[in-house]
Amino acid sequence: MSDSDIVILGTGIHPFGRFDKSPEEIGAFAAKQALEDAGMKWSDIQTAYLSRMYLPATSGARILRNLGNPGIPIVDIEAACASGGAALRQAVIAIRSGEVDTALVLGVEKMPRGFMDPNMIYSPWQVKMGMSMNPAYWSMRAMRHMYEFGTTDEQIARVAYKNHKNSVHNPNAMYRKEFSMEDILNSRLVCDPIRLLEICAANDGAAALVVTTRKKASKLGGRPITIAACQHTIAQYSADFRCPADSMSATINNPGPTAVTAAKAYEQAGMSVADISCFEVQDTDAFCEIEIYEELGLCPLGEGGPLVESGQADIGGKYPVNMSGGLISKGEPVGASHVAQVVELVSQLRGNSGNRQVEGAKAAMGHVLGAGGNCAVTILKA
Amino acid sequence: MSDLSSGELLPVKEGLVSGAGQDDVRLLGSQCDSCGEVSIGTNSVCLNCGSEEIQSIELSTEGELWTYTIVQHKPPGEYLGPEPFQPFGLGLIELPDGVRIMAPLEGDIVSFEIGAKMELKPWVLKGANGQAYRAFRFASVSL
Repeated sequence: MSDSDIVILGTGIHPFGRFDKSPEEIGAFAAKQALEDAGMKWSDIQTAYLSRMYLPATSGARILRNLGNPGIPIVDIEAACASGGAALRQAVIAIRSGEVDTALVLGVEKMPRGFMDPNMIYSPWQVKMGMSMNPAYWSMRAMRHMYEFGTTDEQIARVAYKNHKNSVHNPNAMYRKEFSMEDILNSRLVCDPIRLLEICAANDGAAALVVTTRKKASKLGGRPITIAACQHTIAQYSADFRCPADSMSATINNPGPTAVTAAKAYEQAGMSVADISCFEVQDTDAFCEIEIYEELGLCPLGEGGPLVESGQADIGGKYPVNMSGGLISKGEPVGASHVAQVVELVSQLRGNSGNRQVEGAKAAMGHVLGAGGNCAVTILKA
Repeated sequence: MSDLSSGELLPVKEGLVSGAGQDDVRLLGSQCDSCGEVSIGTNSVCLNCGSEEIQSIELSTEGELWTYTIVQHKPPGEYLGPEPFQPFGLGLIELPDGVRIMAPLEGDIVSFEIGAKMELKPWVLKGANGQAYRAFRFASVSL
């Protein structure tokens, strides 16, 4: 621990769900909660970043002027599902530069029901030909994994079973209901082999972080949690389905964005996977979580199915994943998603997570992955 | 203004498909002189290495199914497939040129198998404005 460590001193979250409230209301709610948790006032913040994908231009300023307008720089950041990681990384860089010592990272989203607007990420010809449904891409990846490694429908369903079960203890999740394996395997197919109870929904939500230096935090008291790493990358050529790809190379096998980003984060933190007590990852669909185990190094390639089946990813297992219930239960208000993962991980590292607490959590990882092959990984340590 | 009554087809994407008449479709690609990588569509820059030394090529019409899914619900946006909506296969077909191209699959949704031989088929789509587009699908090679 050193004075120059960059820490999270305050967290705030507006529950994820569907609300008759504006982005300004839910955003200001989360920001105020984070400031209160940090023991700070809005006037203590020197720069702010808003993570968002669907909200219009200058949303950061529109939301945060409701707390007063001190005239600080407020910047909107967009990197699809990794927007929150990209915003947190900007805050870390700004503080590390020495220009500021305290920043607010806010993630806010308000999204329509149903499949995401295809025109935001697909070309017109892909829409015309029926290639504009996100779950189709995840499903093609799942089908190939099943073909190559023998991954089963039951193993995929086991991810959804675990995450729904964990969500019961998370008051900020949209769905807080436990489902049996049978319920999940009998829910309707969206795109083979992915089923309704195995995918996440678009919704509304907000989360906020007060980021500062350990030196400043130690004067204020509270429970600072160190940001050991925060990395964001975009998939290399032909390395990810979520670009969204209209083709893939059959000759070049670049590592996927999760593997690349995680490797950078482990290096920055000076840690390996064995040092991480718990994980929040991008389970946009249940299969995706299996592939993420493999790319984060929780198990060798092809063994993600057996890993979840053995209970190793459960709370109490060797590598607890998605203690919050994951995106499958919380929903994915895109801009707020990674910020809320970090809120959950700070809670875990402070030992405040009640019935979903991972005993003795010392270090934690958040991971998001989405359109454009955008991936962000944050590692925190108590 | 094109004469719609004569059924003139516009390529669903310029530089990706060409053909003559309703029952013809060819896929266009690009090959990089520098790294050798093949990509779909007519590109002026190699998507792998960034080289501008790149040639237009015609892609193979047969390949193998590398992966697929069945799209069970009507995709969002201006989907121009059959009305009323019918579940359809969507897959990546590995062509001998060294590229896997994504395409809708023609045929019974229970019939697809990874590794199966597939062939390019013309697919004509009608837009809401009456404009017809030259698109493509792949189907299992009939034995």
